[in-house]
Formats: sequence, structure tokens, C-alpha cells
Amino acid sequence: MTSMGNTTFEIVINTIKLLAVFLLMVQAVPILVWLERRGSAFIQNRFGPNRVGPLGLVQLLADAVKFLTKEDFAPEKGNRIMFYMAPVFALIPAAVAYAAIPMSVPLKVGDYTFLIQGYEINVGIVFILGISSLAAYTILMAGWGSGSKFSLMGALRASAQIISYELALGLSIVGIILLYGTFNLTEMIHAQQGIYHFSAFGYTVAASWLPNWGIFYQPLGMILFFSATFAESNRLPFDLAEGEAELVAGFHTEYGGFKMLMFFIGEYGHMMIASGLMATFFFGGYSIWNFTPQEVYNWCYGLVGSEQIANVMNVVLHFLSYNIKFAIFLWIFIHVRWTLPRFRYDQLMDLGWKTMLPWALGNTIVTAIVIFVTSYFVIS
Amino acid sequence: MTADVFLFWFLALITVISGLAVVLMANPIYSALCLAMTMISVAAIFVTLQAYFLAGVQIIVYAGAVMVLFVMVLMLFDLKHELQAFTRGRATGALKIASVGILSGLIVGAVTIGLTIAGRSSDEVISAAAAGGVVDTTRGLSEALFLKNIFGFEALGVLLLVIAVGTVALSRSKGGTHARD
Repeated sequence: MTSMGNTTFEIVINTIKLLAVFLLMVQAVPILVWLERRGSAFIQNRFGPNRVGPLGLVQLLADAVKFLTKEDFAPEKGNRIMFYMAPVFALIPAAVAYAAIPMSVPLKVGDYTFLIQGYEINVGIVFILGISSLAAYTILMAGWGSGSKFSLMGALRASAQIISYELALGLSIVGIILLYGTFNLTEMIHAQQGIYHFSAFGYTVAASWLPNWGIFYQPLGMILFFSATFAESNRLPFDLAEGEAELVAGFHTEYGGFKMLMFFIGEYGHMMIASGLMATFFFGGYSIWNFTPQEVYNWCYGLVGSEQIANVMNVVLHFLSYNIKFAIFLWIFIHVRWTLPRFRYDQLMDLGWKTMLPWALGNTIVTAIVIFVTSYFVIS
Repeated sequence: MTADVFLFWFLALITVISGLAVVLMANPIYSALCLAMTMISVAAIFVTLQAYFLAGVQIIVYAGAVMVLFVMVLMLFDLKHELQAFTRGRATGALKIASVGILSGLIVGAVTIGLTIAGRSSDEVISAAAAGGVVDTTRGLSEALFLKNIFGFEALGVLLLVIAVGTVALSRSKGGTHARD
């Protein structure tokens, strides 16, 4: 067993890291909710929550207290076990999957390498996609456990949507996997560092003004992946699960108080996974525009002249770089939600099965052919 | 007790308990959810054996897609009716006896096979498998699938297509969802 650690020290460190990532995720949700409410107000030319505290930031605390003190309500005809289990389970896939995303270069303390990620897993992508696909169960459990028709219909819609778009999601990143030749997220980020360069037909092409990011190789893959993640996290323009006019509020119609908030955290968790994966696959992960970590380290070393401090600085700079990209994608998620209207259900299924899936397949085939041709035929 | 041993027993316990629950639960939805749990814990056991790709595929395909469809379909049924139809009758009784026989056979087989590898840590098992030419890297798996056994693999694909077409044909044969009876 290498993934969880062999010694007690490693196991303790890994456990603490998992807890830290989970807390990080949960703590980010109130801020995102605030951003979403203020952002939507900004987009719709109104004020949003601005009364409690500076810029309305303490509103989150007030909301949390309200959620905690609400009556603990369960529908009489529902299934109580399922009803209470679903919101708890909603947190697990999001937290576990997010922990696998690398957030910075490893920190070396003595002879121990401290990874800035929950845990390193060999097949990062497959693992994350698998774990986040389990979210469909929590939705189904909530819908069925509520014992209401609206909840069940909302749950069936949401899970059908998640399953349909999972295919397009999986296929859209096959091009990226072919390109980097690995499933491992850290190795993918390594492949995207430095300036734009690739070799074709035995020649090497390089451009010093562009970073070596995945988006410049796989633009179509990026668009497909990003759209599919919107559908996966059940947000507008794909929030068919919550079509208020037809289904009240979808699978969480019967939920109130803190249980409702837990579903919220799960949904935002999926947004965070999607943003983290976008950064990792197509925007170089934690790497900084045009610079390799070694160059950043050398720059830090030149600045402070101490190996230890330069090391820590390097880690912090890359962590910031990752989080800036992460925040930009989260903002795009929020902005899109308040910009686009919702699809009709048949349009949603058409888009998933008849548009995105063929395009993703085509992208895969073209990428495979290009990679084969450019590496097999060498013109000398 | 090392972490390795603890993890194995923990996962084994969850697998066995949820596996038993699949059979013993009266409510089919609980059974289906327990089956998903069994698949997830089997995937976790694959991870402890360093078969990462297999674990991931197990979760994506079985737990994430197939079982979700099962649960969805089960939730649309009138469960009380189904429950009665399956717990009474002579044919079901014979089926029950037959499955008890199969189960006891499986347990005996598992114990016999288990005894031959008992007392070995998962690292030893992995290195023994590697020495015997078994490579469970993703590359090794894809070479076995797409180079050595490509025709068998393609034939399986065609078989699945036949099944899909057959299912559609059967469900449409008597008017399908628009049947008037």
C-alpha cells in the first residue's frame, strides 16, 4: 500500500490533509454563495445582500444560524432513512474527488516530500470521474426518500441528465489523455509547463509568447468538457432538475434547513471539481504562465538567498496561481447561470446525445490520427 | 496490525456485509443500493492491490452508470406488487433452494482458494503476479485488449450491439409504450 502511506506518520499526515481539503471546500461555499448572490444582483442591476456587515459578508453567518435553528422536518409518507442519508452522502463524492486534484508543487521538508493535494492517485482522471458519477445516487435517494411525486420526477430528470452527459464528459477528455499519454494529473501538469512547444514530423516548434497549455492543443475538447461539467453539476442552463415552474424545486423540494444546505454544498463542490479539472487539463494546473517551477524557484532563490524560504515561496506562488485560475472558472459558472436561460428537456437530450457526443468522438479520432501521423512520419 | 491488514479486513467486512444485504433486504431499492456499495468496496480492494485503472472503471461503469439505471427503474415500479409476486410460489421456492446450493458452493470455493494465498501481504501478491507476467498497468491492459485479443474484443462489441438492437425490437414488438390492451 503506497497510496495511503506505510508509516503512522504518513497516515496521520494524509488524514489531516483529507480533513483540511474537506474543510476548505465547506468553507469556500458560503463565500461562493455570497459571490453568487452579489454577482446575480450586479448582473440584474440590483443590490443583493448588502445590509449585514461590510458588503453584506456577515449575511452568510446569519444564514448559517438560520439554517441551523430551523425545524428539523421530515415528510410523513417518505422513507426516513433515505431522507436523512441523502444529504450526508451528497457531501462525500465531491469532497473525495476534489482531494485528488494537485494544488501546488510538492513542498520538500527535509527528506519528506509533502504533496499539496489530498492524495496522489495513479489514474487521477478515471478516479475523479468515477467518484463524482456517484452523485447520481444521492439525488435518487433524496427524490425517492421524500415520498413526493415532484421530488421523484426531479430526481429522475437530474440523474438521467447526469448519466447522459457523463459520456460526453468522458469522451471530451480522451483527446487530452492521448496528448499527454497519462492518466495522472500531476504528470499532465508537468507536460503543460514552460513555453508552447511540440514536435511534429521530426521538427520542434516553439513559441516563447504562449504557455504550453492544453487549451492550445484541444480547444474543442475544452468547450465540450466545460459544457458537460455544467450539466454534471445541475446548474443553469442545464438545471432541469430544479425547473421551478414544473417541479417546484426538483429532488430537494421536501428539504429545509441544514439538510438543504448540505445539498447546496454538494452542488458547489461539483462546481469546484469542474473548475479544478478545467485548470488542470486545459490551463496548466498550478503552473505559472510561461515559467517552469524550476525557473520560479531560481527566481525566488535569487530574491531571498535561502533554499528553505525559496522552496516555501515557490509552493505559495504556485498555490496562488492555481487558485486564481480556479476562481476565474468559478466566476464563469456563476456568470453563466445568471446570463443564459434554461433548455427545454428535449433540447437538453439532443444536445447531449446528438451534438456533444459525436463532436467528442470526432475530436478523439482526429487527435489520435494527428498524434500518430506527426510522430510516425519523420521528415529529415 | 499494519495499515495494509487493517484496510483489507475493513474493506472485506464492508463488501461481505453489503453483499449479504443485497440478498437479505426485502425492499429491492435497498438491495440495489447495497449492490452499488458492494461494487464500490470491491473497487477499493482493487486499489489496495494497485489495480487502479480497474478500480476506476469498476466505479464508472458499474457503480456510476449501470446501477444508477437499475435504481431509477426500480423507483418507478409499484414495489408492493412486485414484492408479493416474487416471494410466493413453487417456482420461486425451487429457485431459492438452487441459489442456496450455488451460494454454499461459492463459499467453499472461496475458502479453498483463500487458503492458498492466506498469510501473504498484498505487496507479496502483487510482486508474485508481476513475476508471473501479469501487468496491470493501463498500458498492459490496453495491449492485451487491443493487440492480443482484438478480434475477441470486437466480437464482444458486436454482441453487445446485437443485444441492444434486440432489446429495442422486443420492446417495440407489441406496440411498445403505446400498447393498447
